[in-house]
Amino acid sequence: MKKPIGIILPILILIAWEIAAQAINNQFILPKLETVIPVLLHPTVDILGTGSLLHNALVSLERVGAGFLVALVIAIPLGVGMGWSRRLEAFADTTVQLFRPIPPLAWGPLAIAWFSVGLSSMVFIIFLGAFFPILLNTIDGVKSIKRTWVEVAQTLGATERQILGKVVLPGAAPTIWTGLRVGFGIAWMCVIAAEWLPGTTSGLGYLTLYAYNFGQMQYIIAGMISIGIIGIAFDILFRWVEDRWFAWRGLER
Amino acid sequence: MEHFITHPDPVPGMKGTHLIVLGILAVLLVAAGCTTTQQAPADVGILYTKGTGPMPTLLATKQIDGYIAWQPFVEVAPVAHIGKVITYSGSLPPDDRWKNHPCCVLAARTDIMAANPELVSDLGAATILATQYVNDHPSEGADLVADWLAGRGNFTYGNVTVSSVEVLDRAFPTVKFVNEPSEQWMAGQVEFIYALRELGAITGSLANTTDDQSRAILFDTGPYNAAMAMIGAKSFKVPNPVNAPVGVGYLLSDHDASLFVAVKKWQYFNDTYGIALRPRDLTATRPDTVDLLIAGKKVAELKLIPADAGPQLMQLAATGAIQFAYVGNPPTIAAIDKGTPVKILMALNDEGSGVVVITDSPATDWPSFVQWAKERAAAGKPIRMAAPGKGSIQDVMLRYALEESGLSVREVQA
Repeated sequence: MKKPIGIILPILILIAWEIAAQAINNQFILPKLETVIPVLLHPTVDILGTGSLLHNALVSLERVGAGFLVALVIAIPLGVGMGWSRRLEAFADTTVQLFRPIPPLAWGPLAIAWFSVGLSSMVFIIFLGAFFPILLNTIDGVKSIKRTWVEVAQTLGATERQILGKVVLPGAAPTIWTGLRVGFGIAWMCVIAAEWLPGTTSGLGYLTLYAYNFGQMQYIIAGMISIGIIGIAFDILFRWVEDRWFAWRGLER
Repeated sequence: MEHFITHPDPVPGMKGTHLIVLGILAVLLVAAGCTTTQQAPADVGILYTKGTGPMPTLLATKQIDGYIAWQPFVEVAPVAHIGKVITYSGSLPPDDRWKNHPCCVLAARTDIMAANPELVSDLGAATILATQYVNDHPSEGADLVADWLAGRGNFTYGNVTVSSVEVLDRAFPTVKFVNEPSEQWMAGQVEFIYALRELGAITGSLANTTDDQSRAILFDTGPYNAAMAMIGAKSFKVPNPVNAPVGVGYLLSDHDASLFVAVKKWQYFNDTYGIALRPRDLTATRPDTVDLLIAGKKVAELKLIPADAGPQLMQLAATGAIQFAYVGNPPTIAAIDKGTPVKILMALNDEGSGVVVITDSPATDWPSFVQWAKERAAAGKPIRMAAPGKGSIQDVMLRYALEESGLSVREVQA
């Protein structure tokens, strides 16, 4: 009975929100539910000339998809390499650790200078957000493969290429998948921030910032709720795949 | 437990290098704490909000007592019932000091001016024609700007809903749309150099120049004259072909109305003059790609890039991400001072900013505002005013006006 209980708190929060909004009666501090709900119920209506909620959500998803894909294509091979070869890890690990704590948005000014305004600089920032969780999980996944599995394959005469393809990658897949899930979550947060860069004209992040100029808090909160709902939806999707295909991990350990 | 007892590090789980790093950090923190000095309190605190975005919220939550902003964000306060306008920028003291003060300008990178002078004067001509149209049709101009800035949508503030068209209608008469780089206008611009020097925002090529030298560094009125000549002859030169889209930055303010109207009324300008900025997506409220048409033929593709504040645009100009900017003059002057290869070509508007205070303030005009500020300072609770950015035109005017009225000013430290 996990689900019915889980729904109680959000409902309580909504009730508390409305009571507080009525009491405060200042939409800049807390807009009333009745100003926010209509925005969410009409996701195809234009907002301040910026396009509809739905349109902006799709634009943001496109951007996050592009950045995520670039991160995946670079981080997984690099992670497998670093997990497999101690020399490569020793060579690259310090650099990775140096860059990892820099928040992706801190790269904003450089991103604009290097990739110019628009999609490519946003993709760069999203890429940075997704890259490290995928990389570190891939390294971890490859390293935590049981030595016995590799030894068995070696005894049976497998080449290194075969071991990587048939033992290491499948064995590390559940951990890599966790990295993808975490990476996507961070990428989704980064797209919102990336859309605050100058030159942006669309996206959920841009929409919330633009509404701020006019003090239109109901659009800001509707945008935040949309961001949250889309984030949850993708997390559920990733978990569903995890449960379906990688459930063996829990059994095996 | 065996492991702990024989552990070689002074602290379990922590390596020697970690401790050294922590030690250095601790020393730095202590040093920073010791060197922070207490400053004497000022009469008025100024808070910089990096654009106008946070101002309505800060005012509505009483974190500031007022703000100075560009239009239409001055009008947001009265329509939202969170503040009132006490003065528009042209009337700020000292007397007549800010009447017809320069504000937004059209600036261009020197490389495109050298490589494609026709393109520069064509864009100038399209801007000048649109300015004329705005002055001849102010209510239509306000409506088109409301369309550009807010899709003619409504703003909702609690129980109050106001049309963006109404907000722009209120804002429009407080902005003067002009293009001519006149003597008086240039003198007004040069005045800003003095203000920016005082603020420490000018330290480069304009740090020690005479007024004539400053003018030579800042302005190039050639494109304006060429544009006026083409408008007079009703014939516009076809620019050199451009391979890549030309970046045009602008501010989301009615100060840049001439750009918005040039694009929104492209059909009219195309039919009447044979020069137009036609949006690729004719249905977009804020088009981001437009084609420059001369005699109905596409001659260049322009990318329109909005920004929240002038310094962002100048950063884009410095890296070559944009070639033109519809932008405030202080950020442009500061950028040129720092070596950004940009020239100011013409004016876009004079005046167009305003001072807002919280609704329950006793101030109704500048003198009563000064009185209020003095009382609050005497009571040990100096008022806080927000300005869009340090060295912005609004910041410079507010500081001058406050100091002229005998009030000391200091930036609010977070």
